[in-house]
Amino acid sequence: MDTTQLLRGVLDLAVLAVVEREDGYGYDVLRRLRGGGLTEVGDASVYGTLRRLYAAGALTSYVVPSDEGPHRKYYGITPAGRDQLAGQAKEWTSFADTVSSLLPRSTGASS
Amino acid sequence: MSDTHFLARPDVTAFVEEVRRLLADLDDETRDELLGGLEADLTDQVTDGAELGDPATYAAELRSAAGLPERRRRLRGRLSSGSPVSLLDRARSRFDRTVARPHVAPAWEVVAALRPAWWVLRAWIAVTALDVAAGGWEPVSLVPSLGVPGLGALLLVVGTAVSALIGMGRLWPGTGERSSAARFTLLALNGVAVLAPLTWSIPMPAYLGSSAWDGGYNDYTQGYMDAQRQHKGLELDGSRVHNLFAYDADGRPVRGIRLVDQDGNPVTVRPEDSTTGRGDARRTGCPAWNGDTATYELFPLPEASLDRGLCDTRAEAATARRPPFPLASLPPLEGGRRQAGPDQGKSGR
Repeated sequence: MDTTQLLRGVLDLAVLAVVEREDGYGYDVLRRLRGGGLTEVGDASVYGTLRRLYAAGALTSYVVPSDEGPHRKYYGITPAGRDQLAGQAKEWTSFADTVSSLLPRSTGASS
Repeated sequence: MSDTHFLARPDVTAFVEEVRRLLADLDDETRDELLGGLEADLTDQVTDGAELGDPATYAAELRSAAGLPERRRRLRGRLSSGSPVSLLDRARSRFDRTVARPHVAPAWEVVAALRPAWWVLRAWIAVTALDVAAGGWEPVSLVPSLGVPGLGALLLVVGTAVSALIGMGRLWPGTGERSSAARFTLLALNGVAVLAPLTWSIPMPAYLGSSAWDGGYNDYTQGYMDAQRQHKGLELDGSRVHNLFAYDADGRPVRGIRLVDQDGNPVTVRPEDSTTGRGDARRTGCPAWNGDTATYELFPLPEASLDRGLCDTRAEAATARRPPFPLASLPPLEGGRRQAGPDQGKSGR
């Protein structure tokens, strides 16, 4: 299966989880997602998701000025974001368990 | 974690400006929000060895992930909300959903399999429409004559080929990814093809040259046609009467008679009905003249050989000949003598 399709559904969750651990700016979040194993995630997808979560009130943002170059924009999680993370994490676990239980015992054996 | 001191790179700046341009349709706040920090992030990425891709793809991905509408969609949607194109799209998708329903799909499969028949039919309709438009009234027939021998058949072959090629998507406006102009042209052409025959008077006997059609179907068609044109023709048992032939009590043919009904209305043949046969055998009944008014009530109507149209000028009528009586004579009838002879009309009774 195309993992980018799978990613689309859980990118919110993954981004929230990463930011919840520690505030970060766009590229920082991207690197942590990729470092965590989501190697195929696109940078624009992550940046767009950050902006959307911010617009929805799940994240706050603050700019760290730079004298020599463009400003960095950091994101942090809000209480609403934590609620969303908890809810979606629960849904994800339940969903993943359900799908796993449907799979044949020897994983990777697709017919 | 990272060093916040870095220099902006011109390629990154240019890339971000291009992306900004591609987001120009968004309001300022949304756009700034979307682009805030992007230059810094991209500079980091490039510094780490990443490559800047296509700005358009990038902008689209950014939009999509941010839950914003696509640029083209949004533009087109705004232009055409409620436009004929979107109306057509909605109608099409509704139609597709309808024919995909489990109890409709098998029937639709049959109908879809008959599409080639429609391609042939609409070609015939097109040529016949040309025939009707090109000349005077002509009985609608399987092979339109167009007044020139062979021309109708030739046009029919060409028209069928063109119609089929359009149907198969090989010829504009039926080709591949259809523009809205092509779609509307196709819709209009098919609509005309469906509606055009309704404007024709279709005399069923001439239709296929067969009286097998004169049954119930004919009644319906005639009824429809009659409603269309107030002038009803003369019928006998559902068949059109083209001409009338009179015989006297002794069974001898009589020429030059006029008949009226109980109210004194003359019995006439509708001019269109006076035509029989095709090609060389085509005969058109000619009227008598009351001043400049042609009247089809003097029987039997003389018949002219015209390639097309009606015998409605004196010049054409001058070429007319007496038609042969269908029967040389009839058996004489008893009691005929008593009624024979001149009558004084109602006042004489």
